Amino acid sequence: MTESGRNCRKTDVGVLYRTLRGVLCLMSGCALNEKEFFSCCQLLLQQSEHLRDGWSWEAVQGSEEGYLRKTVLRSVLADCYDAQKQTETASDSVSPVSAHPIQELQQQERTQPVVATCFHSDGIIGDDGDEDDAVCVLSEGSSHVLQYEYHILYSCSYSAPVLYFRAFTLEGRSLTLEDVWSSVHPNFRHCLQNSPLTAITQQEHPLLGQPFFMLHPCRTEEFMRPVLQEAQEQPRPVNYVLLWLSVVGPVVGLDVPLKYCTQLHLSSLQRSTSDLMSSTVETGVRRFARKTCK
Amino acid sequence: MSDTAESPTETQKEETQPPSDDSTTNDEKKKKKLMSKHTKTRIDVLLKAVGDTPIMKTKKWAVDRGRTVQSLSQFISRFLKLDANEQLFIYVNQSFAPSPDQEVGVLFDCFGSDGKLVLHYCKSQAWG
Repeated sequence: MTESGRNCRKTDVGVLYRTLRGVLCLMSGCALNEKEFFSCCQLLLQQSEHLRDGWSWEAVQGSEEGYLRKTVLRSVLADCYDAQKQTETASDSVSPVSAHPIQELQQQERTQPVVATCFHSDGIIGDDGDEDDAVCVLSEGSSHVLQYEYHILYSCSYSAPVLYFRAFTLEGRSLTLEDVWSSVHPNFRHCLQNSPLTAITQQEHPLLGQPFFMLHPCRTEEFMRPVLQEAQEQPRPVNYVLLWLSVVGPVVGLDVPLKYCTQLHLSSLQRSTSDLMSSTVETGVRRFARKTCK
Repeated sequence: MSDTAESPTETQKEETQPPSDDSTTNDEKKKKKLMSKHTKTRIDVLLKAVGDTPIMKTKKWAVDRGRTVQSLSQFISRFLKLDANEQLFIYVNQSFAPSPDQEVGVLFDCFGSDGKLVLHYCKSQAWG
C-alpha cells in the first residue's frame, strides 16, 4: 500500500468513528428507526468495502429504502456422518478468500461442520458434469458448492433489522428448510430446535416477492437491549446493525469477520489518543495565554 | 465442562477446586487435555454479566488461547445452569459478538488490555 493509501485508510476509519458517535446519539432506546437503520448500513458498507467483505446496497426506487445484500459461495461436504474426515477435508478443499465477492469462499476451519444432510454425491455438478466450470477449487469427489444469498432488510413492525437468506446449488436448485438447517452453527442448533416457534421460516421477500428463509425478528430487541443499554450508559458507540449481524450471522452460516470490530476498536484508540493530545495542547495553550496576559 | 483447561486465577475460600461438570463426555475431556497440552499459553479472561444474566461467582479465569468462544459459552451456560431454550451470547468490546469458532487467544491479542480480556456475556431467549 502506498503512503497516501495508508493515510487515506486512517482518515476513513477516523471519519467512520465520528459518524458512528453521531449515529449512537441519534438512537432512542433500543428500537431502531429506519433512518438509523440506513445510517448503520452505510457504515457497515464502508467497512465492508475496506475489508472486501462483499456487501452491497440495493436501493429501492432511488429512495433511501433498500437492503444490504451479500452472496457467498460455500463448499459443503456430502458425507455428514464422518465428522473427522470433514474437518480435515474442509481445510484442504477451501481456497483462500479472493478479492471478488462472488468468488469469496467461506473458510471452514476447525470444527464448523457445514454438512449437507440431504445431498448425494452424484449429479450435483450440473448436466454438463464439467468440474472445470466450477468457480472454486475443491477437493475431488466429496464437496459440493452452494450459493448463499443474504439480505438485511428493515422491519417496521419490529423496528429491527431482519435477515433473509436463500441458497441454491450451482444448477439453480433451491435448498429446502431441512437442507438449510445443516448450515446452522452447532452452538445455536440445540437452542433453536427447542424454541417454541420456528425461528427460521420461509417467507416472501418484502421487496422482491420471492421465497426466502428468514430469521424471525420478534426477539431481536430482547437480545439487543442489554448490550445496547450498557453501551449507551458509557457512552460507547455501537453500530446496531453490525452488532446484530455478528450475533445472528453465525446462526445461518454467515461469517462476520472480527476485523469489523478491530477496525473500529483501533479507530477509537486513535481517537482517544488524539483527544488526549489535543486536550493536552489546549491546556498548555491556556496556561501560556494566562501567563502572557498577567 | 472439564476444567483441566481452565482454572480460576482468584483464590476463593469456598472454591478451592474448579467446578466439575458431570455432563462432559470422556471424548470431550480427552480433547480438552490435548488442547491444554498443545496450547500451553493461557490468557486471563474477565467475565462480566450484562442485563439480567446471573453474575458468576468467579469472574476471572485463565483460559487456553486455543479455546473457542463456543466452548467458553458452553462453559458459562453450564456454570449458570441455563435452560435448554436460553441462548448465551458473548460480546467483545461491548459492541460485537465474535464468531463461535473464534479463538479467545486472538480476541486477547486484539482487545486485551491490562493483561486481560474482558468479555461480556448475556443470556436471552433469542429465538422464536
